[in-house]
Amino acid sequence: MVKVGIPRALLYYQYYPSWKTFFEELGAEVVVSPPTTQAILAEGSARVVAETCLPVKVFLGHVLALVRECDFIFIPAVRSVSNKVYNCSKFLGLPDMTKAVIPESPPILDMDIDISSGKRKLYQGIYQLGRHFTWNPSKIRQAGLAAWQVYLDYRNLMSSQGLTPPEAIERLTGTPETGSIKSSDHRAALKDTIALIGHPYLLYDEYINHRIIYRLEQADKTIVTPEFLSSGELESAIVKLVGRAYWTYEEEVVGAGGYYLQNGANGVIGIMAFGCGPDSLMMDIVRREALRQRTTSFMCLTLEEHTAEAGVITRLEAFTDMINRKMRRQAEECV
Amino acid sequence: MRIGMPHMGNIYIPFKALFQRLDIDFVMPPTNNQHTLSLGVKNAPEGLCIPFKLILGNLIEAADLGADTLLMIGGYGICRLGYYAKTQEQILRDLGYNIEMVQLGVSEHKLFGMLGLIKRLSNDAPWRKIVSAFRFGINKLNTLDSIEQVVQKVRPRELVKGTANQIYAEAISAVDRADSYLTLKKVQSYYIKQLNQVDKDPQAQPLIVGISGEIYVLLEPFSNLDIESELGKLGVEVRRGIFTSEWTKFSLFLNPLGMNEKARIHKAALPYLKRDVGGDGWESVGEKVLHSKEYDGIIHLAPFTCMPEIIAQNIMPNTKENIPVLTILCDEQITKTGMLTRLEAFVDLLERKRRNNNNRQQTGT
Repeated sequence: MVKVGIPRALLYYQYYPSWKTFFEELGAEVVVSPPTTQAILAEGSARVVAETCLPVKVFLGHVLALVRECDFIFIPAVRSVSNKVYNCSKFLGLPDMTKAVIPESPPILDMDIDISSGKRKLYQGIYQLGRHFTWNPSKIRQAGLAAWQVYLDYRNLMSSQGLTPPEAIERLTGTPETGSIKSSDHRAALKDTIALIGHPYLLYDEYINHRIIYRLEQADKTIVTPEFLSSGELESAIVKLVGRAYWTYEEEVVGAGGYYLQNGANGVIGIMAFGCGPDSLMMDIVRREALRQRTTSFMCLTLEEHTAEAGVITRLEAFTDMINRKMRRQAEECV
Repeated sequence: MRIGMPHMGNIYIPFKALFQRLDIDFVMPPTNNQHTLSLGVKNAPEGLCIPFKLILGNLIEAADLGADTLLMIGGYGICRLGYYAKTQEQILRDLGYNIEMVQLGVSEHKLFGMLGLIKRLSNDAPWRKIVSAFRFGINKLNTLDSIEQVVQKVRPRELVKGTANQIYAEAISAVDRADSYLTLKKVQSYYIKQLNQVDKDPQAQPLIVGISGEIYVLLEPFSNLDIESELGKLGVEVRRGIFTSEWTKFSLFLNPLGMNEKARIHKAALPYLKRDVGGDGWESVGEKVLHSKEYDGIIHLAPFTCMPEIIAQNIMPNTKENIPVLTILCDEQITKTGMLTRLEAFVDLLERKRRNNNNRQQTGT
């Protein structure tokens, strides 16, 4: 059986269930790289120039982990997932960059995902991708439709039940994910709630964010993330803050940030990677909004490969202390 | 309504001519200087690139001079630059300036959209006047570029270093002052003649170094510490693919019409980079591939944290076409001594390479 490798990094958290379905429908076996470790990050960073951002270094480490494990590696070039939005260069250059810095990698299956250039192009891309596995166009079509259905189910599962991507992936595919991420019934009480905003590849990669969700839950905080919101809620928050989305994954930052600053979270923590182009702008928009509102606390954590765990813990403790104090004062005022 | 706009190299000259001819009230902020930079650095998010910070500084200075309508390019599909106007507007508003940002969309405002925008800014001037003012502005830009191309040739060969730069500075202000096609023509031939008369070393066979990379740091000498003059002083002839006039012509006018000279560069890059990654990353890879035979080396300029150029930087060492590339990252921390040391080392390397090649050819191996 043909083995297709999917690196557990970047877009994995958004699309893994649907990619898995697509390739399995076409009769391929899907191999995923193990969760990020120090070795994966170190090997990835060794291949690229130092200025490259952390998520890409992690991604390349995962590709290296898959090199001997599979016949193909799937790396799509995602330009836009809705009309007239634009994506970070790293997603566009990812297939070619991987090829350049990891010459020993198995053949890369790349395809352009660019909704702005029309659905026809997308269908052609899916068809060409499927041709690596079968000559039967209707089979490719079936696989594509099944993958789309799984994607919708996956999104729905997260927003309706308040599951984080790793939990939802576990439910849908039965692959056990690393365990400490546990969410409680988040909508029951938006009290003592901290919203984490940022891209899934930063929020749910426990190695690079130093288990931030686990640590906040240990401090008795309820965690909410962008995936808990419906796309309508995210969009209206974007419209309010910047008018129209420019970036493909803007809703994870500006959308969720705008929403949680407005609606009842006690604190918002933005997580971004050092040197991230889109986030350096989007986080600033959220930060300015928080400054204007002066009701919800906001903190931005910048991650890079040198981030010391102790530094992250100190900042988290200071932030939760601040929120606890604020809530205590509010309670006293009420009495 | 008073218009202000940011700087990028000499681009203020044609715009100034355009505004003057259309009787638009405008202010030009001072050319980039240390104060501009510190204004930008102070008020910008730290992770942003040097073009953002300098442009923000320009806009603040323009607003201080009374501008209430700020022109800034933007639009879809061009790295994070498309988001800059939005953020800069918020920053200026938060600083207490009551301004309106006008975005010149590089990709969505086609030529006519842009002329329409100028019509709006000029209080409905007649089309004939707008088009002629436009033509005049473009003409100034072309004049400047033809002079600059000669300057690039003279710099490495001149006996008294700095003469060409002096003449070039005079030429820039003469072009800026010129108010008719005739004076412009006279200015052009006068300064090109002046440059040709500079005492030169007849024996000189300067190294040829191409400069590629992100457009703003290529065209704005303040951001790259005037790297071209420094290379000239080291006796290196600089070739640059992107000139302001070409950029304006292609990005703003011909590109929307579908005529694209860049296609050749893109084709060269195809084996290594299959798609546009935004900014000028694709072109950087393409220029390396295209010019590997005719140049001795390439200096790749990029702003720190520029995503498209990081992609290019990762791909370039792995191309078949082998030519030394030195990447210099420009940010607010860059220092002249640091850059000079790197340039000297690079030039030494290229000279040695050329000598070795010559020796090998002479011994016939």
